[in-house]
Amino acid sequence: MTVTCPSGHESKTADYCDRCGAPIGPAGATAVLPVVDELDTSPSLRREPCPKCGAVRSGDDRYCEGCGYDFESPAPATSTWEAIVTADRGQFDRLATPGVSFPEEFGERHFPLSEGENRIGRSRGHPGEAAPEIDLGTQPLDPGISRLHAVLERRADGACLLRDLGSTNGTALNDDPAPISPNIDVPVTDGDRVRVGAWTTITVRRR
Amino acid sequence: MSTFTLEAYQNEYLPLGGTEVNAIVTVTSDGAGSPSGQPEAAAIVIVDTSGSMATPHRKIEAAREATNIAIDCIRDGVLFGVIAGTDVARLVYPSGNRLLEASPQTRDAAKRMVSGLNPGGGTAIGSWLKLAGGLFRMTPERICHAILLTDGENKHETPEALDAVLAEVDGAFQCDCRGVGTDWQVSELRRVASRLLGTVDIIPEPEAMAEDFRAAMRTAMGKATRNVALRLWTAQGAKVAFVRQVLPTIEELTGRAVPVNELTADYPTATWGTEARDYHVRIDVPPREVGEEMLAGRISLVEDDQVLGQALIKATWTHDHQLSTRICREVAHYTGQAELADCIQEGLEARKRGDVGTATFKLGRAVQLAAESGNDGTMKLLGAVVEVDDPATGTIRLRGDVSIVDEMSLDTRSTSTVRVGVGAP
Repeated sequence: MTVTCPSGHESKTADYCDRCGAPIGPAGATAVLPVVDELDTSPSLRREPCPKCGAVRSGDDRYCEGCGYDFESPAPATSTWEAIVTADRGQFDRLATPGVSFPEEFGERHFPLSEGENRIGRSRGHPGEAAPEIDLGTQPLDPGISRLHAVLERRADGACLLRDLGSTNGTALNDDPAPISPNIDVPVTDGDRVRVGAWTTITVRRR
Repeated sequence: MSTFTLEAYQNEYLPLGGTEVNAIVTVTSDGAGSPSGQPEAAAIVIVDTSGSMATPHRKIEAAREATNIAIDCIRDGVLFGVIAGTDVARLVYPSGNRLLEASPQTRDAAKRMVSGLNPGGGTAIGSWLKLAGGLFRMTPERICHAILLTDGENKHETPEALDAVLAEVDGAFQCDCRGVGTDWQVSELRRVASRLLGTVDIIPEPEAMAEDFRAAMRTAMGKATRNVALRLWTAQGAKVAFVRQVLPTIEELTGRAVPVNELTADYPTATWGTEARDYHVRIDVPPREVGEEMLAGRISLVEDDQVLGQALIKATWTHDHQLSTRICREVAHYTGQAELADCIQEGLEARKRGDVGTATFKLGRAVQLAAESGNDGTMKLLGAVVEVDDPATGTIRLRGDVSIVDEMSLDTRSTSTVRVGVGAP
């Protein structure tokens, strides 16, 4: 439907000519879906911050530049922490990893969490090998756990942090379906469940 | 579907040989969104975790808290993520190069990751925006919004690199920028916010961060329509001199035109909630005979080519000087508001250079314009930088003891405007 304006233009609009504007429209959009670029998520260098004020420790300085905290001071007496390893049926069913069966006979394993880093991993049982503190390399074996998978770090200020060490299959926390980002400290507290591999759940306990 | 109402204010009468057609177009949106309720959204909080955020230490603490509050404001089902920015960008949450739907669990998990953030490293804002842009590009059907917080200059990449990223991510998302403290560059952050159609503001004290983030995220969550463009048709032979948003802030849009056909171009307006914005359009038309009338421009708001509302900009040539010399109040008001913003920015620049003469003249004119138009917010900010002797004539003296916070606040908020009729008639 077009109308003709006084100057003879064919106009799609009836009030004024859509060419010359004499008294008497838009075409297709140009939206183009963009290409997704490769993302840069490379982790930056991990630094060991002051447990008191969070300032970055410079080199091996004994005292914190921010608050004067003594990095070598003996830790104050704190409660005891432990990690309890169980096989989680729900997790196993959800992930449904092909070729892996659920260990029906799995006794709870208890690991004390000492001050500092407690590595979660899988030793190969070689003589002289430095096994991780939380060694999941014994039968029944969860094949989804990396040799050096994650770390539970108990800090002098009483905090407990979970850090994935760039494991193959990732580390998840509680009911969050997404794994945590590698090489980032995530605070954990009593009762938190760290999920690794096809069925392993590590519950953090503070007593 | 949101309803948009457009109204044009102008003096359509031109004298013999007159070519300049000015109009103020007011646009109001009821923010009703689509019939199916609120549209789906995606949100990213970009937080600076460069080394400087460690001093004072409450800065990183406040940033963590503000980020967590922003996360709390994200409603269920919105795809979200948190980026920590240094000289590289890092997706803190979730992992795996994608955004995740907000739920009580994921919000909680994200907040944990945020509380583990510690400062260290440089500042390369372009890399942060690039990462956010890539994530948003995966969900182009959503309303995409980011809040960016920084405390320093963009030292670890060139301005050209930042420009290249801005060109690349333009249109992918809207980004509100916030500078905390006084070590960042107003012009730099304004450039980012303008290009990405967001707001820019200063947060002088870290303590105010949380409230600001809450407000910014709530506003973002209130957006009901996306990809709305201001479409301007102009008659054959006419030329668009400029298109600028003049309320709530001055934003030049002339250079952002995307041609639709030879007579029509679209200007980006990003997302709309329940709000009102005014635009100033100037069209130069070839002169016609006295007594002739023409449509100089047809301005409309379109979403995916669907016209949501329109207004007409006309021209009529007349011998009647009483008609052609009549000044349109709206046009005069916003011309003044644009000059006000320019005067402040030029005055502050001159002041920095030590050019007292130019600074006094420009800031004096700014005081006069702010007083005339009733722009009290800007007037108050000006008062911290200059001593006002007589606002009516713009007689001022530069203050000697101006704090950097006051100077940056004035600069950052210089583009804020007020509606016509606020000042004395």
